[in-house]
Amino acid sequence: MESIKLRKITSLWIITVLALFIANIVLGIVMRLNQGEIIHEQPATFYAHMTTHGLTQIGIWFVAGMAGINYLMERYLKTSYLANVLAMIFTVIGILMLWISTYIGNFHAGWTFLYPLPLKVMWAKWGTPLFLSSILVMGIGWLIWAVSLMTQILKKYPLSKALAWQHFRKNPAIQTPPFILISMITLIGIIACLLGAVLLLAMYAAEYFSNGNFVNDALLMKNLTYFFGHTIANEMLYLGLAIIYELFPEVGGRPKWKTTWYVALAWNCTLVFILTAFFHHLYMDFVQPVGFQIIGQIASYMASLPAASVTIFSVLVAVYRTPIKWSLTNLLFFIGVAGWVIGGLGAVIDVTISNNFILHNTLWVPAHFHTYNALGNVLFSLAFFHWFSIQFSSKGNFEKLTKLKLTLLLIGGIGFLLAFYIGGAESIPRRYSNYPAEFPMAAPLAIAAAVFATIYLVAILIFFFQISKRCLNILFSPSSY
Amino acid sequence: MFKHIIFTFIILSFFFCQLAVAQIASTGFEEENNIYDRVYDAKLSFNSGENRTLAELCSGKPLLLALIFTRCSGICNPFLLQLKENLQFKNNFGEFSILVLSFDPRDTQEDMMQLARWLNLENNKQWLFATTRDIEKLNLSVGFHPTWDSTRSQFDHDALLVGINKEGYITKKLIGLRNQNDLGLLISSVNDVFSPSYRLPGKNLLFSCFNYNPETGKNKPGLGLLFLTLPPVITLLIVFGISYGVRHKQI
Repeated sequence: MESIKLRKITSLWIITVLALFIANIVLGIVMRLNQGEIIHEQPATFYAHMTTHGLTQIGIWFVAGMAGINYLMERYLKTSYLANVLAMIFTVIGILMLWISTYIGNFHAGWTFLYPLPLKVMWAKWGTPLFLSSILVMGIGWLIWAVSLMTQILKKYPLSKALAWQHFRKNPAIQTPPFILISMITLIGIIACLLGAVLLLAMYAAEYFSNGNFVNDALLMKNLTYFFGHTIANEMLYLGLAIIYELFPEVGGRPKWKTTWYVALAWNCTLVFILTAFFHHLYMDFVQPVGFQIIGQIASYMASLPAASVTIFSVLVAVYRTPIKWSLTNLLFFIGVAGWVIGGLGAVIDVTISNNFILHNTLWVPAHFHTYNALGNVLFSLAFFHWFSIQFSSKGNFEKLTKLKLTLLLIGGIGFLLAFYIGGAESIPRRYSNYPAEFPMAAPLAIAAAVFATIYLVAILIFFFQISKRCLNILFSPSSY
Repeated sequence: MFKHIIFTFIILSFFFCQLAVAQIASTGFEEENNIYDRVYDAKLSFNSGENRTLAELCSGKPLLLALIFTRCSGICNPFLLQLKENLQFKNNFGEFSILVLSFDPRDTQEDMMQLARWLNLENNKQWLFATTRDIEKLNLSVGFHPTWDSTRSQFDHDALLVGINKEGYITKKLIGLRNQNDLGLLISSVNDVFSPSYRLPGKNLLFSCFNYNPETGKNKPGLGLLFLTLPPVITLLIVFGISYGVRHKQI
């Protein structure tokens, strides 16, 4: 069973993530209000918001997933508390460095910090090294955490068992829990993409300190950027799925899900495909050979299909004509899977090369990734946060305001996302701080999005107050609790 | 002694000025100036006696604008002759017009008519010959800076061809006598057709994913591709290393 120290650090993760999420939603609303011409910011300020919003969002939902699997993994094996604490320290320092670089240093090259933007200094000179160092600090913390968790898995399960290869044969002697399989597959992908980030940052540093004696290849830098960025954005979703596989049947009062040959096959395939799907970000780079572009499209299809189809099948089978104990946790998981699938479909539409000619760099792109995050991964993590916080609270109505919270989440979330999708279908470009007159629908859509995002924010605030209150009790409870 | 110092100073100053001018000229960035700027909407007077603005003209078809003067004893005539010759083979790039515009205020419509006749283009509807009173503003908008040399009674100027699309934006500029390939890129740009361009290998560029050979026009895989494989390869080594370590109780 998990230790009290683990409960406390998990509580701290939850409070930190929710607090930063609220700040981040506010940044998003401010950006949409600026695009809607309700407020007027300097373009540099808008892009500083965009940089902070994007990277913080990736960071917090990644650590939320990691904190979730770390906590649940204690059911199967002992995890390292030190690695967990180190990750927390590195994350907090990294986030502080990031916010200082963007809001004091005015660094505003976007969360993808595409080469050579960070090196074209249009902000405080120290902004670029501080920004890149912030990613390095967070990356090192997360790398230690991921390697530590993987090592603990491998201590209990041999590699072939951790990857559930024995399930390809009939009647395997040892069962690999789906939670362990998905965690292992995801951790491998996370380690690969974090190593990609380390290499990317080393290349930036080499050019930055070379005084012009060394210049990077733009194509290599873009490939590395998306190998890191695309992969981590997807892997953090899989962390949420690992939690669903573990908790969804349990909370619903159903037997635990088991690994079957098709579950094992789907997730093993996902490991390969997710590492090559990032090529779809380079469709517009004509120097990249056509073969890579085709790999990008096929891998994107294949990466989404096995994991998605198996998960959807499992969730539907679990609820269809089955007496299930519905609770806020389960509902959040269920709606989250729907949001993930809808966002995934939006992504598959965009990665299809012929569609990408039209949708590339339009609002369709933030539409799909906000769908599987704001109405997908966020809900997976909120479900875990809620479930975790009520585990150690003996009194109170834990399902209080459930209908209100879900209604606000759905109305706010769907309205906010629709503004993006309609904008994408109208070919409104993304990453514009202000829209020119050629896009008359852009500003009204941005205002509508800000209104709906505010409704979504209200729901998150209720979650924050309820969950944080319980988590603070856990955090400050005596050690013998 | 003082005279020698002054003399040396003047010689060195002259030398460095020349060096600086040579460096500016050799950077080749003049072609990049004013790209995607809107060209000045000058009022044009044509040989036919018709008056139209530049915006009206290019709203129908994209334009290649050649800036010349009829009394030129230097580049203008070879420039136009080569342009005419090269364009004979460029009919498959979409529709466009060529506007030959004088930047010399002395040039009249009769002078331009004579030039058209000399080039045997007076009946070619694709070629338009015109003068304008707004030449200074137009020159400024396309980044063209002819200077009057009173000794030779000639303008010192570049042979400039400017590509202008239907919306009146400068999409590409060519300076000097250029080959058919460059002209093809210019025509593609005014028709809003994407034209790929490659960075040439440099000594300070070590890890290219692909190396472009301008002679063969082909890309060869470079060292950068190996870098792309590094993260997954190192990950595999870590996974197998840890797996081996825990099995043999070394971790």
